[in-house]
Amino acid sequence: MAFFVVPAFALVGIFVVYPVARTVVLSFLDSDGKFVGLQNYIKVLSSREIVNLEGLSRGFPLGALVHNLLWIAIHLPLTLALGLVLAVLLRNVRGGAVIKSIIFLGMVMPMIVGGVMINFMFDRNLGIFNAFMEIFAIPTRSWTAYPDTALLALIFGSVWLWVGFSTVLYSAGLETIPKDLYEAAQLDGASALKIFTKITIPMLRPITIVVVTMTLLWELKVFDIVYVATMGGPGGASNVLALQMYLYAFRALDFNRSAVVAVLLTMSTLLVSLPLLRTLRDDQS
Amino acid sequence: MSRLFVVPVLLLATILSAVTLTVIGPWAGPEMEKFMPVLREFEKQTGIKIEYKIYRAEDLANLLPAQFAAKKAPGDVIFMWASFIREYGQKGHILTLNGVLDEAKFLPGALDAVKVGDKLYGAAYTGKVKPGFWYRKSFFAKHGLTPPKTWDEFVELLEKIKKIPGIKAPIASGDGVGWPLSDVTEHFLISFGGPELQLDLIEGKVRWDSNLVMKGMNKLVSLLKNKYFGEPTEWTLVLKQWWNGDYALYFMGSWITGMVDDPNDLGVFALPGANGVVFGADSAFVPKYTQYPEEAKKLIAWLCSPEGQALQVKQGGHVATAVGIDLSSYPPVDREVAKIIQGVTALPDLDDSIGGEFQPTFWDQLKLLWVAPDRLNDVIRTLQEKAPKK
Repeated sequence: MAFFVVPAFALVGIFVVYPVARTVVLSFLDSDGKFVGLQNYIKVLSSREIVNLEGLSRGFPLGALVHNLLWIAIHLPLTLALGLVLAVLLRNVRGGAVIKSIIFLGMVMPMIVGGVMINFMFDRNLGIFNAFMEIFAIPTRSWTAYPDTALLALIFGSVWLWVGFSTVLYSAGLETIPKDLYEAAQLDGASALKIFTKITIPMLRPITIVVVTMTLLWELKVFDIVYVATMGGPGGASNVLALQMYLYAFRALDFNRSAVVAVLLTMSTLLVSLPLLRTLRDDQS
Repeated sequence: MSRLFVVPVLLLATILSAVTLTVIGPWAGPEMEKFMPVLREFEKQTGIKIEYKIYRAEDLANLLPAQFAAKKAPGDVIFMWASFIREYGQKGHILTLNGVLDEAKFLPGALDAVKVGDKLYGAAYTGKVKPGFWYRKSFFAKHGLTPPKTWDEFVELLEKIKKIPGIKAPIASGDGVGWPLSDVTEHFLISFGGPELQLDLIEGKVRWDSNLVMKGMNKLVSLLKNKYFGEPTEWTLVLKQWWNGDYALYFMGSWITGMVDDPNDLGVFALPGANGVVFGADSAFVPKYTQYPEEAKKLIAWLCSPEGQALQVKQGGHVATAVGIDLSSYPPVDREVAKIIQGVTALPDLDDSIGGEFQPTFWDQLKLLWVAPDRLNDVIRTLQEKAPKK
């Protein structure tokens, strides 16, 4: 019987375990293969590319790590709230499924195309965002070209791409809530807001955990959108960890520093995944 | 009966044994159309088929290291940055072309960028120069403008252009990966720091915060602060806008002559005092892992021959690296370019020559400088950190 699992273990070993282990080892070596302890970690974490404290007084760039945290701080609550609101609003609307499908299109699109579209969306000459701003006589600009707005433009653009995911998951979750709970609440005279906060939100908790976890994981590893839209610029103002990992590896040809960023990203991903795993285990038990 | 069987087998064997070389280059659209006649002529002369694939050098920089590590190559003749060719030639992934190309048959120094010691790792196909600011003669005539002869005249010209109704900015700023901004910056550095500054920066002999560099950068920043440069816009899009009169000047390489509707309407001037001009040869190499090394070398020899290069320069936008090309082979506008570069020092491209981590940093920092010129000191500090040091 054990014989049959050998191919699966071999594949996982070769393509998952070995590369992960090798990356961890690389992060502790210098370019000559000599063990250097935590030196690479200190070098990476103290570099302005990762954390730029001067940015606190001068503005962007703040460093790739801070940019990722900002991405999480803005993108996560927005996608959660928008997804939930859209799912609830479109629940009993005729043609709601079609609208949800249209919203989900952003999610289906390859993120590399999404990045190009975000660039166009915020472009001074072609962008829909500027067309909207002109209505209110707000001065137009290419929002991804300026250090103070590049990252924010990417984050808001990515909300448009990702909100389809949370909408669809919340829509599916809403269908699982028993209707009699709502009917009982209505009979007791509960307001719509009370029903939403006391029934809908608590009953959607497992879905929320999935959405939060998946969104966090995506926010941590975001690369393609940034790569095509701004390449982390201008002046590193929209740089993120995954892009910095790529730049270390393929532009600086410094695989050790790149491995450090990879390890940091893996650890963050594991930390983020733990609550989901714990919840799934609790649900099963 | 057996003959009936033999004929198709022979035919199949002939088809299977036919050599098809894969050429990888960065040119698409009109630029590619002007390159294809050179390849077609080679096919006609040798019977060797060629498949042309488009890859940007930036993408090849990601792809090739992994391919080389697996002892593979996506093409048989590949156009790439000279710095990359030198680096991977020394690592043993590129075939040497000594014996294939005769240095005496090239312009002096044309092959220097792809040479390490006496080993020649690449070929210098035709090149392009970055002579200065292009303008439409009809636009200048309509508004009574003339090319400047001094810096003050240049600033006056920009001020005059700024006041023309409908103008977005006097100078168009090409964007994209970042090289159009680096090209114009290099022109300022060469004009105010001298041609040697470009070479010294490449070799890391001079610091980015030195007076010589700051002199050129401060001149550039003064123009940026006065909004004489437009907002960075994708370079082919802004080319159309410039041609349509949204901008009056556009700093671009000589390939622009092949990208506009009427090349005869083009005029170009360098910054007053510029004694050097960037001449970038399109470098190509043969990877060690090609299936057809001899055929690939044959193609390289053809591309670098006077006949091959004459065919290319005739299409416009290219300048030959091989000697013995008659000036009559060039379209009239390219002859004008050739005149501009007479008597000035031909220089290698700064960021292409340095390559590595510096190149994307240079491009990215200039994007920042263009929209936030008051952050010059931050930009200089970052460039100094990433620059080669001697």
